[in-house]
Order: sequence, then structure tokens, then C-alpha cells
Amino acid sequence: MAVLRPFDKLPKLNSGVLLFVGSDEELQRRLAETILQEKKDFNINIHLATSLPLPSERDHLRPRIDLVVFMIDIKSKYSLKNVETSLAYVDASYFLGKVCFLVTGVGRKNDCSIETNAVCKLGEAYCSPVLFCELELEGVRVATAQRLVRMLGICAGHIPGVSALSFVSLMRKSNDD
Amino acid sequence: MAAVTWDMAPARAPTPIPAPAPAPAPTPTPTPAPAPAPAPTPAPAPAPTPAPAPTRELELTPASAWSQGGGGSYGDVSVPTLLRLRDRMKEQLAEYETAILAGQENLFGHGIEENFIQSATQDLERDIEEAKVSFQNKMLALQRIQIMDALRNKFKQDDEDSRMILETMKHIVLLSRTIIDYQQQVHQKEEQLINLKRERLSLKKRGGEKLQQIPTMMKRQKEKQASVNVIETEKMLKKLEKERQIITIIKNVFQNVIIGSRVNWAEDTSLKAIVLQLEKNVHFQ
Repeated sequence: MAVLRPFDKLPKLNSGVLLFVGSDEELQRRLAETILQEKKDFNINIHLATSLPLPSERDHLRPRIDLVVFMIDIKSKYSLKNVETSLAYVDASYFLGKVCFLVTGVGRKNDCSIETNAVCKLGEAYCSPVLFCELELEGVRVATAQRLVRMLGICAGHIPGVSALSFVSLMRKSNDD
Repeated sequence: MAAVTWDMAPARAPTPIPAPAPAPAPTPTPTPAPAPAPAPTPAPAPAPTPAPAPTRELELTPASAWSQGGGGSYGDVSVPTLLRLRDRMKEQLAEYETAILAGQENLFGHGIEENFIQSATQDLERDIEEAKVSFQNKMLALQRIQIMDALRNKFKQDDEDSRMILETMKHIVLLSRTIIDYQQQVHQKEEQLINLKRERLSLKKRGGEKLQQIPTMMKRQKEKQASVNVIETEKMLKKLEKERQIITIIKNVFQNVIIGSRVNWAEDTSLKAIVLQLEKNVHFQ
């Protein structure tokens, strides 16, 4: 029960559910509010959590989660460790495109505690896209919100012909052959 | 505009928190109160980490997602919306079917080696690349057809623009023809160059062969001369031998003549010298 599974529950009609996992709650809330202000044509539910596993008392109330976004703050090593421990509670079938890593705080280059190399390796190991953003800036936050809304739409199965699996194949580097 | 619903507030208020030992964090925590639960101790348990925030979860839902506003999320039952909903449900159904298929295939996973999986993934990736490339080519072809069609329609209108387009196209055709001519000339010159190079190469080869033949021929000549020399020396030796034998015979004859004539050759010095000379052996060895 502690592990998140993507296909355990039926999806609600015309809605997408996003789950943020990260140690900085204020940032999560701000990004969530920006996302909710976006123009979209389906319901969006956003769940915020600091780490996995999610408390199991509310399992029956929680809808099917379509996209899990792990937020890593580039200034704190703890956030990376937190995300790494939480990754164990996500079922393997989530990593077929329904997981995304969001690195925040990249605006300040001199404060980095974790290397971008480490994050990129994490993204490659889990076959998931890594997005870099700076949530303090209004424009970047809105752009990130738009990207996340699009990804959520695809992961929730709203776009016919495009499934979350295409994220995996789009990430294939072309110099592999 | 966004209604924030705190999940835990209503749940927590009525039930008293048992404040179990494993939860060092403040009380409004929905951390698994059943500490003996099989769930491995997550964030709250490890004390050394810098005050890990307990796993809290809250949910944000907009009050109304529809731009039309009004009552209820499902109040809009127009045909396009229904069709869109139907498409979405189809897509979600396809996803579930894929998930089921994937789940089923794992039953045979014991015998599958990693190599097989790797080669299978490589094949699939290659297929994806080919599909992408062919799709792009088809898009390109389609766009070209569309452009040609648009041009044709434009020509039918036969106004100022189309005349200019016609001029430009004729100019393009002329330039292309000259380009083709020049390319043919270039091609011919290149062929000539290649022929010259080929002949030079064959000449070089022949020159090299001749050079190699020279020392062999010189060797042969030397051998012939040597053999000729040998033959000549043999002939001369034979002649010499014959002459010696003749001389020996003549000597013996003279000796016998002198002895037979019963002349006392020891008294006459010149006769003595002749006889003694006759005694000398002609053969050196």
C-alpha cells in the first residue's frame, strides 16, 4: 500500500492529478497556484507532499495520480536525498513517462550544493525528463507551469495518439547508434 | 480562485493523536500512527537527518476549471465536449490495456536473459527511429505537394504576382540547365583526369617491372659469359693436351732416331744439349 501504483484506480472523468514531492513547501504551493491559474480544459488536482510514502489513511480518498514531479532544490543536498529515498516508494511502471524531475533555484549559480551532473545521471537512470527552472522569476514560473500542464495532459491520457511513453523515446540521445 | 483544501484538518480534529514514540515531530502529523505497520520507517524515524519534515499531504483544487463558469464541472454537455471526452476515455483505455499486457508478459520473465531484452530494446528503438524518419519524409513530401498545389492555383488566377512567379521559375529553370551543363563538363574533365592517372599508374608499374628485370638479365648474361669462358678454357686445355702429346711423340721419335743412329752424343755439346732437352718432361705436373 505504501507504493504508488499508476493503474490501481480508475481515472476520474476529464481530470488530471499531479503530485509534487519536495522538501520546500512554500515553493510547491506557489508553483501549484500558478498551475491552477493556467488556462486548461480539464480539471487539475494538485497534491503536495514532502516525501513518500504518502499517509495510507487517505488512500481511498486519493484519486489516481497521473504525474509525479520530484522537486530538487539545487541549493540543498537534503532535497536530493529526500527525493532519492522517496523514489523507492514509486512503482516501476510510473517511470514510463509519468515521473518528472524538477530542479529549482538554478538562477543562482554560486550557491549550488549539488551538481547538475548528478541530477542528470539520476534522470538517465530513471528514464525521466529533468526540467530546470527558477521559480522565483514570474516568467519562468509561468512557463514551467505551462509545461507541466501539457505533460499532465499527456500523462492523463487526454491527448489521443500521444502517451506518456513518448517521453521515454524522446529522451533517447541520437548519438547512441 | 483556488480553493485550498487541507486534507488533514478535519481528519485530525476528532481523533486524539496517540503521540507514539516514533513520531518526534509536532502533533498534527498523519504519520502512520500504526507504528507496527509493515511500512518501513520513512522520514520521521531517522533522527540524524536535519529535522525531517513529516510526510504531510495537502490537496489543491480549483473551484472551477471550466472557462464557462456556471454550475458544476459536468454541466457542459455540448457535442464537441462529449466527443473530446470520448477520445480521452479511449486513450485512457488504451493505456490500461497496454498496462495489462505488460503485466501479463512478466509471467514468462524468468527464462528471458538480459541480452534478449537488450537486443529487443535495440530493435524497438531502431524501429522507432525508422518510423520517425519515414514520418518526417512523408511530411516533407506532403508539404511539397501542398506548395505545388498552391502555386498551381495561383497561376490559374493569372495576375501580376503569378507572372512574376512565372518569370522567376523560368529563370530558375535556365540556371538549373546551365548548372547541369557545367556539371557535365566537370564530370568529363574528371573522367579525363582519372584516365590520365590510370595510364600514369600503369606506366609506373611497367617501369618498375622493367627495373626489376634488369638485374636478373644481367645475372643471366654473366652466367652465360662464365659458361662460355668455361667452354673456351676447356677447349684450349684440350688443344694444349693434344699439342703436348704431339710434342712428346716427336721428342720420342727424335730420341729414338739419335739413339738408333749410334752416334756418340755425349761428346758433341750441341747434340748433348738437344738430347738433354728432349728429356725434359713436357708435362708440368
